[in-house]
Amino acid sequence: MAKYFKITLSILMISAIIISCKKDSVVDEDGLLITFRQECFVSNFELLGADFVSVRSKTAVIDTVAQTIDVEVLFGTDLKNVYPQFTLATDCKLDPKVTGRTDLSNLASPKVYTVVSGNRKIRKDYKLNIKFQ
Amino acid sequence: MRNKNIQFSFLVIMMLASLVACKKEEYTIPDAVSQLTNDCIKRTIGPSIVSLPLEFAYAMAIPKSSGKLVSAQVEASIAGASGTYLEHRSFFTNSSGVDVPVLVGSPSLTVDKTTKMTYSIDTNAATLRYYYVIPEEARGQSVSFTFSVTSSDGKTASYKMGPYTVSRMSIKKNLAVSNGVNAFISIEDMAVYNAAAAAAIPGKIDLVYLFRAVPTTFTHALVSPAADAAYLPGVTLPAGLNRSTKLRKVFNLQDRNLANLQFGIYVDDVDLKNVDMVDMPNYAIGLRAEAGVWVETADKKYRAYIFVNSITAAGTAVISMLRYTL
Repeated sequence: MAKYFKITLSILMISAIIISCKKDSVVDEDGLLITFRQECFVSNFELLGADFVSVRSKTAVIDTVAQTIDVEVLFGTDLKNVYPQFTLATDCKLDPKVTGRTDLSNLASPKVYTVVSGNRKIRKDYKLNIKFQ
Repeated sequence: MRNKNIQFSFLVIMMLASLVACKKEEYTIPDAVSQLTNDCIKRTIGPSIVSLPLEFAYAMAIPKSSGKLVSAQVEASIAGASGTYLEHRSFFTNSSGVDVPVLVGSPSLTVDKTTKMTYSIDTNAATLRYYYVIPEEARGQSVSFTFSVTSSDGKTASYKMGPYTVSRMSIKKNLAVSNGVNAFISIEDMAVYNAAAAAAIPGKIDLVYLFRAVPTTFTHALVSPAADAAYLPGVTLPAGLNRSTKLRKVFNLQDRNLANLQFGIYVDDVDLKNVDMVDMPNYAIGLRAEAGVWVETADKKYRAYIFVNSITAAGTAVISMLRYTL
């Protein structure tokens, strides 16, 4: 009887160890730290031309309630070859990522960028509206 | 007990090894030059471009007791273009950092690949500059040099330099363009034409220079003839101009050769070969002094880098270009 008791106890102990050793993932699929922050917004926006000089004619207007970014660009800006730059709330990330030259020339269908919060549980879509000076 | 002995022996060996490793080699004074000796450096940095000079400093010396310098010569693997010469003055740098010349011989004579200078004064040390103007025949080739010196005791010393690969680029500096007058640019010819001349060679005109004060962001522009009319306001193109040239604006790329030896940046063959011109527009407006544009001609025969040397509010500019044949 004591023998069965020992075996059962051993199995329970091993199970407990296995469960207790399971580590919570603290980084996301991009290797970025997942935090407890819930803030999720765009705080600043810049648009650079192919020569890495700003093509904005005035400061971009960011509406965090309507989730829109309105930016006016200089006459003659080649929107097929621009570099958008987003400043986000702490620990947030952007989806899709901006990896290089971006084509924003389709003004009829504004591009949508999603901001993901630090805890990766909140996602907000921002519509990027561009118009010429 | 045995382990203790091993540990002690190991410690002793380690200490001995440390002592040996720490032995310092004594400095020895180099031997004085006892015979005719020479050395050379290449002073030109950046790409070797046809029509521009390569500059070398060739130093030579012989002990006073052995004699004096008689002559110096350079043999290039490809004959230099007109303007190639070996200085007949030796330079030294004074305390203010200024190169001071001292006349040491008669002007050099170049025959085919060899440039020779004969000393006319009694000297046993000199540093001569050699300027090799890169000829058209060297484009895309390698060129090398053999520097040599002869002394009065009959000895000769020589020094090999190179090989240096000559760029495939061509260069044209300080082209004056003006709004509505000399406004038509040909990359193939690396030249600027007025409307009448452009009408005679419409297939060679790649860009139009124009200046518009309004809108304020337009100012100085390079626009291809086939661009949207919005970028050619008030321009009546000569008949037949229809090329669509791709342009990519760039800032802070002041090539040293184009910027008349200012700055320390060089555009090289590899830059023109690799620049990404896919989906680039056929106009570049809002150009400023020291800005530039990468250019790809409509027939993809040439790529170029055009640098804006200067601009004026009256609608004129000075541009320089490097052209690469694809």
